[in-house]
Amino acid sequence: MSEIDFSDPKTIAFLTEVLTAAGVDGLEISSASGKLRIVVSGGENHVSQAARASSKPAVINAPMAGIFQLRDSASADLPHSVAAADVLGFLRVGHVLVPLKAGHSGVLSRRLIEPGTLVGFGDALFEIEAQS
Amino acid sequence: MSPFPDHKPLFDTVLIANRGEIATRVQRACRDLGLKTVAVCSEPDRDASYGKSADVFLCIGPSSASKSYLNKDAILLAARLTGAGAIHPGYGFLSENAAFAEAIETAGLVFIGPTAASIATMGDKIAAKRAMIAAGVPCVPGPDTALPDDQSLVEQIALDIGYPVIIKATGGGGGRGMRVVTEPARLQDALALTREEARQAFGSPALYMEKFLQHPRHIEIQVLCDAHGNAVWLGHRDCSMQRRHQKVVEEAPAPGIAPEIIGPVGEACVEACRQIGYRGVGTFEFLYENGAFYFIEMNTRLQVEHPVTELTAGIDIVQQQIKAAQGIPLELTQQQVTCKGHSFECRINAEDPETFMSSAGVITGLELPEGEGIRVDTHIHAGYKVSPYYDSLIAKVIVHAPTRTEALARMRQALADTRVDGISTNISFLRALFDDAAFAKGETDIHYLEQWLKQRATP
Repeated sequence: MSEIDFSDPKTIAFLTEVLTAAGVDGLEISSASGKLRIVVSGGENHVSQAARASSKPAVINAPMAGIFQLRDSASADLPHSVAAADVLGFLRVGHVLVPLKAGHSGVLSRRLIEPGTLVGFGDALFEIEAQS
Repeated sequence: MSPFPDHKPLFDTVLIANRGEIATRVQRACRDLGLKTVAVCSEPDRDASYGKSADVFLCIGPSSASKSYLNKDAILLAARLTGAGAIHPGYGFLSENAAFAEAIETAGLVFIGPTAASIATMGDKIAAKRAMIAAGVPCVPGPDTALPDDQSLVEQIALDIGYPVIIKATGGGGGRGMRVVTEPARLQDALALTREEARQAFGSPALYMEKFLQHPRHIEIQVLCDAHGNAVWLGHRDCSMQRRHQKVVEEAPAPGIAPEIIGPVGEACVEACRQIGYRGVGTFEFLYENGAFYFIEMNTRLQVEHPVTELTAGIDIVQQQIKAAQGIPLELTQQQVTCKGHSFECRINAEDPETFMSSAGVITGLELPEGEGIRVDTHIHAGYKVSPYYDSLIAKVIVHAPTRTEALARMRQALADTRVDGISTNISFLRALFDDAAFAKGETDIHYLEQWLKQRATP
């Protein structure tokens, strides 16, 4: 498979379009040739709105299709506290990693998908309980 | 045994970029060919039955079609993630989108359909008409160029054609962007209105003009082509039973048209396919009046009504379409195409049988007809939730019998045996239509159904 040229404006435009369509707020790609960061204004992870308003755990859903990955091995240990800006994991699409932000502060209590699984738009990935 | 004995398949997994009954239908054809399938869906379609029977099922977006079934990037992303080597577009959605076909091929995948260039040519009504004239396909009287801006020249064109004329958007379709003009005094306003509609709906104000036929029938010719210059036509269909330009009932063959009249038209369609290098399945649509055929457009995709041709020709059109995309040469010659018997298709829609307003909700009970010569293409089941977001087609009831009279009787029984509880459907309307004497006699024109509905509505 040929390497993708992340400095190509067409590639950047394509990725931006995909992220915008999926409602993702940004991504960062690191490769031997450098680093690319795209930030889409107005986007946010797809989070269950109903959960925000209730005492039920907030469910973090996949904002697009991709291969689910944890951020690092330490993040596999549950439960643990998280801040809204924390990255809980990624969706991998080829060389691209799309960060999955918590979106809420609280206790990350459950992981609903095994790492390495192909997930679709809206699939439930994590549960975060409000901190008492 | 491999269905591809002498050829290394170009792909072994097909992503089906569609939903509903056609997703089920394409999946069946793939399975019969030993191909794996990827079903994609929007959020409201997560419980679709074809998702459970697919090798991979992936949600690609929310309910809005523009963010799911019409989202080219999301579909290409799904293909990449699942390793699909080909994409079948079904009908509707992106099936006639040249940019989508091109994007798929650029990504190194196979679009199960014609080339982007063929789609673009046939999507431009003037270019299509020019190609048809070059191939000897009969067209509606009128120039094969866009109308000039000069009003006096347009007036002269209309006079040359003879009133009534119809003005159409070159990029239009589906009954939109067209207007009938019955007399010179109404031409100027009609031009201005249609030009504006065309600009807004299709992004181009270009218009063309044709003779308006007053009592035509809608006749179609199904073609099947490979990538090696071979092409056949698989008989004809009558799709004149339309309401607001939407087909309701289709039949094959079109009744009352002698083989010596339609034969040369079919051959001309095949020749046109060869000339434009067409690949896959396609449909030439004609108006038919006073024994003459007039080309209106070519649909560069599988059509909803393909089953009536499958049953009369005895050919699985979807399998053939996939094989053509595989690069496999056509396995039959025109001499081997023999159409037998008569077939009808009824579109079962989730809609009120009187007002035709769409009806969404849960199907609480379902009985579908079965038996000799009866086929039902559907994705619904008891407990299925009919979504308000998409087309109201929930099933197609198709019958086949040795004669038209027997096929009519078989469809009446099939409709009597069909029951869908929990939502409104058009089944009672279809039952009444099949009891109508003029419809049963056959050869009704494209205005018949609208008139019949008006009469029924009159107390």
